[in-house]
Amino acid sequence: MPIINFEFRNEVLKHNASLSYCYQCSTCSGGCPVALITGGSYNPRKIIEEAILGLQDKLVEKQEPNPWLCSTCQTCVELCPQKVELTEIFTLIKNECFNTGNVPEAFVAQGRAILENGVAIPYSKAIISRRVKLGLPSIKTASPDEIQKILKITKFEDHIPKEGV
Amino acid sequence: MTFDLFLGCVIPARLPFLEASSRKVFEKLGIKLNDVEGFSCCPDPTGIELIDHKAWLALGARNLSLSNNNGGIISFCSGCVETLKGVNYNIRKDSMVKDEVNEILKNIGKKYDGTTNVKHFAEVLYENIDKVRENVVHPLNGFKVAVHYGCHYLRPSEIINWDDPFDPITIDEIVRALGADSLEYELKMECCGNPLDKSDKDISLKMIDNKFKSIQESGANCVTLVCPACFQQFDFNQRELSKDKEVGYDFPIFYLSELVALAFGFKPEELGLNFHRVRTSSLLEGF
Repeated sequence: MPIINFEFRNEVLKHNASLSYCYQCSTCSGGCPVALITGGSYNPRKIIEEAILGLQDKLVEKQEPNPWLCSTCQTCVELCPQKVELTEIFTLIKNECFNTGNVPEAFVAQGRAILENGVAIPYSKAIISRRVKLGLPSIKTASPDEIQKILKITKFEDHIPKEGV
Repeated sequence: MTFDLFLGCVIPARLPFLEASSRKVFEKLGIKLNDVEGFSCCPDPTGIELIDHKAWLALGARNLSLSNNNGGIISFCSGCVETLKGVNYNIRKDSMVKDEVNEILKNIGKKYDGTTNVKHFAEVLYENIDKVRENVVHPLNGFKVAVHYGCHYLRPSEIINWDDPFDPITIDEIVRALGADSLEYELKMECCGNPLDKSDKDISLKMIDNKFKSIQESGANCVTLVCPACFQQFDFNQRELSKDKEVGYDFPIFYLSELVALAFGFKPEELGLNFHRVRTSSLLEGF
């Protein structure tokens, strides 16, 4: 049986109060390209319903429906007659998933790249020489120290396990 | 007119040829792009924000704080634009968010007041469309273009605050200003599926396959777009989709800046068009 978690519900509401405006009309799911392709097994209306009810175990642990299937196309946000900011709410749910570690590996890898380099894609030797051939200037990106400081204060780094551990 | 250039990660470090055409176009238009030292990842609104919203806000605000130019920031990437406009939106509408972000930035000796304006390069091209038209020396006759706007160039409209979120016109008009045709197709406004590459490759490929089917029905002979994530989805994954088909797709994928640069008389070699996975030569005889 699903467990209602009031604390979780309050946390979502605190992050984005627009959650409380939802009257479950399903316009979001009707316009969602991923709902269409998955035959409705991905369903933004259902995610919002579970958030309103505080069903943290369904959303964060079991991930039914799977919030990682949102393509962030923002169609639902645009269509919602109640101006519920669905993508923002899904962001918080995905942030919560990082607290449990139940997340697709590719996101962790991207997070690690930022943590180590300050950019998502470090400049390889091949790219540097290609840039020269194309007549492009060399780029001075952020000092990783400064970025790491921010990622430490915000506890972002706690979500990225050390490689090989 | 001068802007601070925010390059982000994907274009300069993976698809630098897109940067080459973009820089050439703006130089030709007499719009100066400043290179600024010290930018980090924007950070990615379809990746890093999903790990931690607050870190996304703080890194975004740090980037915005580095621009002190009158024209604000210009970016060649829709993802960067969405992040930077989104961070501005959050900071401008809620002073508590602004204080919280500045509390973090204090630790690295920076602060951000929310005043840096952000523009997508296609926005600036559209605002200068007469100048674009005047610079065309090689009209793109015979180019039947399927325009893919991509999601983050348009939505959420309250944050992006530019073209219509479901019935946009800006890129179509730029394409026509170059002498090319812009063709309508049924799935024009659909997402390309790129962000799902990280969580479910099959769904991601199905989404782009559907787009290509629709583009095929329209009679278009190429695609144009304005986002490096969309570019990778359309160009890199087109071959992969064609593997299992009797007749595969064969649509050259042009960044909007590449079409503009070709019409301005730049040569395919100097734009690095040979770095595309899908050959572009079918349309480039005489260029």
